[in-house]
Amino acid sequence: MEKQRKTDESRRGFLTGVAGAGALAVLGGEAWSQATPDTPAAPPGTIASEGIKAEKVKAMQWHSERPLTGSVPAHEHDFDVTPNDRMFVRNNLLTPVIDIHAHRLTVKGLVDKELSFSVFELAKAFPTVTLQGMLECAGSGRSAYQPGASGTPWSPTGGMGCPKWGGVRLADVLRAAGVKPNAAHVAGQGGDPGAVPTAAPVIRSIPMRKAMDENTLIAWAMNGEPLPWIHGYPLRLVVPGWVGSASTKWLHTLMVLDAPFKGTYMDSSYRVPRNPIEPGQKMPPDAVSAEAWPIKSMITSPAPNAHFKGSGPITVRGRAWVGEGSVERVEVSTDEGKTWRQAQLARAGDKYAWRTFTYEFRPERVGYVTFLARAWDDRGNAQPTVPYWNPLGYFWNGWHRVGVLVEA
Amino acid sequence: MLLAAGFAGNLWAQNPDTLISGPGSTLTENKCKICHELQHVRRTPLSRGEWADNLRNMKERGTPMDEAEMAIILDYLSTYYSRDPAPPPAPDTLAGGGDPFQKLLNAHACSGCHAPDKRIVGPSFREVAAKYADNPGAAARLAAKIRNGGQGAWGAVPMPPNPGVSDADLKSLVGWVLGSK
Repeated sequence: MEKQRKTDESRRGFLTGVAGAGALAVLGGEAWSQATPDTPAAPPGTIASEGIKAEKVKAMQWHSERPLTGSVPAHEHDFDVTPNDRMFVRNNLLTPVIDIHAHRLTVKGLVDKELSFSVFELAKAFPTVTLQGMLECAGSGRSAYQPGASGTPWSPTGGMGCPKWGGVRLADVLRAAGVKPNAAHVAGQGGDPGAVPTAAPVIRSIPMRKAMDENTLIAWAMNGEPLPWIHGYPLRLVVPGWVGSASTKWLHTLMVLDAPFKGTYMDSSYRVPRNPIEPGQKMPPDAVSAEAWPIKSMITSPAPNAHFKGSGPITVRGRAWVGEGSVERVEVSTDEGKTWRQAQLARAGDKYAWRTFTYEFRPERVGYVTFLARAWDDRGNAQPTVPYWNPLGYFWNGWHRVGVLVEA
Repeated sequence: MLLAAGFAGNLWAQNPDTLISGPGSTLTENKCKICHELQHVRRTPLSRGEWADNLRNMKERGTPMDEAEMAIILDYLSTYYSRDPAPPPAPDTLAGGGDPFQKLLNAHACSGCHAPDKRIVGPSFREVAAKYADNPGAAARLAAKIRNGGQGAWGAVPMPPNPGVSDADLKSLVGWVLGSK
């Protein structure tokens, strides 16, 4: 525990440095030395799950230790900005311990000149940006699909969060390297090791248009803190609105390619059928890469089965988001979808941030009441009751439902 | 120290992470748990085609296993963790009724791999009876095979051990199998 605390302090020290470029030059390297956490059960160079779990709230529901996966339920997400200790956890491989002083980011492939930066050089070379952005595991909601799909059994609202990220724009770094005209995709590779030497590295690529989006970041900060170990310390991609796997953690290499990266994490995972298929069928040959999340919302207050006394108003509050485009409106139903009323939508913030909605409900009788939320995007898409089934159980965005009891 | 006890203890010691015992289960366990807990296997029954895709995906991700091992694992998973509905049970296998021998077969999960007159994963009882015919030590040898498991007599797929079979049940099973014609 003592060692863990030292580690946290050194992470904070690092952030103070990069927040002000001046401090970087003055302090030099010493202040940010990294202590290895006390995690004897983990393979060398990695952090055991116990050390990571200690940084999360008690409300976290852990699905699996190897690989570590967990999330808080919807009513524990009642924050405009997701705090670090409530951000979901999902790894494909193990969590590495990386020395920020040794760490470098290399930009290569179809570029005019190959570049290499330390985290500190990156922070000095480009304008720093802070923005709130949604990250959601492609498999969020998988457990709601019938028949079931293999993979983390996220609840309908599991495996997501919307913190504030700090770093530099990926576009600025790519422009500095000079992207060749035939560049089509940018692949990120992270330093997370597998349990065996044969483990394929987790490499995902995104199309150039998303890589050049001003909201796509190379980030080192999360809610004003250095990235926690589990969320990619010291450097990660943040590709907001898109499936979480696009946001490579422990980022050390960016490869500019003339086509999507070829590898198991592009060609066999994170794929969805181009057109709807019959439930239970295999992945069709014309599957496409999972990219932006469709429109989705959840009710974050009240909690399921909450009890209310008397006929006072009940505030239904939640969050709505969409992977590309914008949230147009959110509706709430208190009669299981027969009629819908428009909720109040908070002013839009950053483009890929979720938006808070509220609806004042006045109970007309005592007894059990249910709330359903349904969001619409600016392209006329609404959340479905049940989304199309797909073999890997991705993109669940069915209506979220919370029931409460009104007592006399 | 707390950390070491926590990681190793909370999953495996108190709550053994295993798969249903059957032909290929040990191989499947050993390959899958290199990278993840076995609950990921147990949780979602899949069709044979989906298990084949899943296995190929795991091979791509780096699981050290060869084609022969993948074939055994595929047979195992699509037998014991199958989404495809099982055929309706024969009347005499229904709870409380019918053949006492069939009830023993069900209780010890023999029927997953063996049938009276045709090969499933392992040999039919009729084949076993023919192999041991005119062998004076047959009963003892077969009893040992059932209890301790074995491999090689009928091909590459091993017979898993069944340490939970009582002496009385073992005697009944051996007697019935050797009498199969």
